[in-house]
Amino acid sequence: MGETLLAPRATHVRGAEFKKRLLQSLKWYPYILVNLIILLIFSVSAWVFMLYLSVHRWDLLGERKFIWFANFSRLANDRIFGIALKNTLQYLLLYTPALSVFSLLIAILMNGAFKGTKILRSAYFLPNVTSIAVLAMIFWRLLSPRPDGPINYLIGLVGIPPQDWLVSVVLALPSLVGVAVWQEFGYFMVIWLAGLQGVPSELYDAASVDGASGWRTHWYITIPLLRPTAAFVLIITTMHALQVFGSIFVMTGGGPVYATTTLVYYLYSQAFNFGKMGYSSAISIVLFAMILAVSIVQGKVLKFDVGLY
Amino acid sequence: MSVEGTVRSRLHADYVGVTWPRWLTVARNALVLALLVLLAVTTIAPFVIMLVVSVQRNMVAIIFPLPIDPRGFSLDNFTTLFRQTKVLRWLLNSMYVTSVGTCSTVLTSSLAAYAFARGEFIGKNVIFVLLMAILMVPESARIVPIYIILSRLGLVNTYWALIGPWFASAFGTFLLRQYYLGIPRDYDDAALIDGAGTFRIYWSVLLPQLGPALATLTIIRFMAQWNEFLYPMIVTSKADMRTLTVGLGTVVRAGGPDAGLTMAGAAMGFIPTFIIFMIGQRYIIQGVALSGLKG
Repeated sequence: MGETLLAPRATHVRGAEFKKRLLQSLKWYPYILVNLIILLIFSVSAWVFMLYLSVHRWDLLGERKFIWFANFSRLANDRIFGIALKNTLQYLLLYTPALSVFSLLIAILMNGAFKGTKILRSAYFLPNVTSIAVLAMIFWRLLSPRPDGPINYLIGLVGIPPQDWLVSVVLALPSLVGVAVWQEFGYFMVIWLAGLQGVPSELYDAASVDGASGWRTHWYITIPLLRPTAAFVLIITTMHALQVFGSIFVMTGGGPVYATTTLVYYLYSQAFNFGKMGYSSAISIVLFAMILAVSIVQGKVLKFDVGLY
Repeated sequence: MSVEGTVRSRLHADYVGVTWPRWLTVARNALVLALLVLLAVTTIAPFVIMLVVSVQRNMVAIIFPLPIDPRGFSLDNFTTLFRQTKVLRWLLNSMYVTSVGTCSTVLTSSLAAYAFARGEFIGKNVIFVLLMAILMVPESARIVPIYIILSRLGLVNTYWALIGPWFASAFGTFLLRQYYLGIPRDYDDAALIDGAGTFRIYWSVLLPQLGPALATLTIIRFMAQWNEFLYPMIVTSKADMRTLTVGLGTVVRAGGPDAGLTMAGAAMGFIPTFIIFMIGQRYIIQGVALSGLKG
């Protein structure tokens, strides 16, 4: 980025000089006005209001009642909140490694002889630009528990007995992860490819002189040099995992028996199915703390220097 | 295109300097290609199945092998969908909301990015960091307060609410700022000597040079807003105000007695994004690669 953020530039400016700077500044503020307003409404005031709500009991219609930290102490004893937390972490631990490793693998294969195969790249990217609502409608059918359901039929061809997928307590969450990996690997493959193409080819030549070959070169050269890309991929996938919602809403509705209730789904249902705005805000704050932790790591590792998408 | 290009381009084993017999290299590449093509089949097949089933009459469930009956071909599912749901209205809503949102994002991002790249003003760095830090945390953690704020303002079930957060973009501001920083200041200075003001430099000198970046931002934001699910669902409750994805996800939903009808709904959601993707895929993929590149 070139310049240091938050440089203590304004410390020595006083009086007339400050006035001059302010006058100079004035013509720039209109340019950032809309960004500031949106920031104020949708971020700053939303966060402040959320903090306020989290220490109240409120069902949207009745009186708001200040209850200190009762919402949070209730969270500690809420069995379903515990399940939601566990499910969110489980989703994260399945999704992030599976997605990062799989997309890297495909990127390495694509980076070799098939760099020019744009048509493959487009095919991989297609699910990623399709709405999760659409994908969920399709996969709800494909993952049908019937023995002659599409996926069950296909695994039957290699001798695996039919599974219950989305209606199974054990398999529902991994099924959602599977759909998400299928949807998003093309996106992350493109990011890995961009990283791979930044690795200078002389390094490979040098490695081959030293007798390294095949996967060893990848292990010792490609992967270490991809560390910045890896940091980016890990953080973005983690953020995605913490916020998964659409696939759950359309395919499982949080079930069966809370097996796919994640934090976002739980706070959604507490607020909009049961009207517990305060309690839901307390859950939001837990989620926010998790996202904040990731953002701080992101800020540290990436120095706000990569896409913030 | 691909197969010839494949053979001609440098084989990977050559690239890393391994001396393998030629036939082994070719065999290995054939194997890799087969794997990659198989993977492409798995990403495309679900959409093909969706389209095939959507034009079949009386398909209760999707089973394999797919019982395709040429005599069962009909567009009944689509006509039923149009008659029984507000899918056309949702489509128009999505088009309206996404167009306005995308255009304003491109405009506000290019303005703000210009100020952050070229301007000198008090609080510049603090505001920039704030913008990046706060706006990048997406809506899901703060839907409850946003919903309440919007409902107090009487904005639930309005286009204002649907477009609101899309008027500005931290991502867009960041992306375009990078591009501005890449344009030499000599251009600004030359224009300044010619008597151009700050806005004039933005509008006539710098903006025309941002062409590809603007295209990338436009298409990425369009796709993102079109596909968004949680936020538009929260801020609308009337069927008339739903966007396409939310309408499909809440009204048509995944289940239901007729697979053909659901797949017709899915196809309605799929076709618009597919068309846009086909037109603008170069910019989408370029933008994605760019967002991860600087790491």
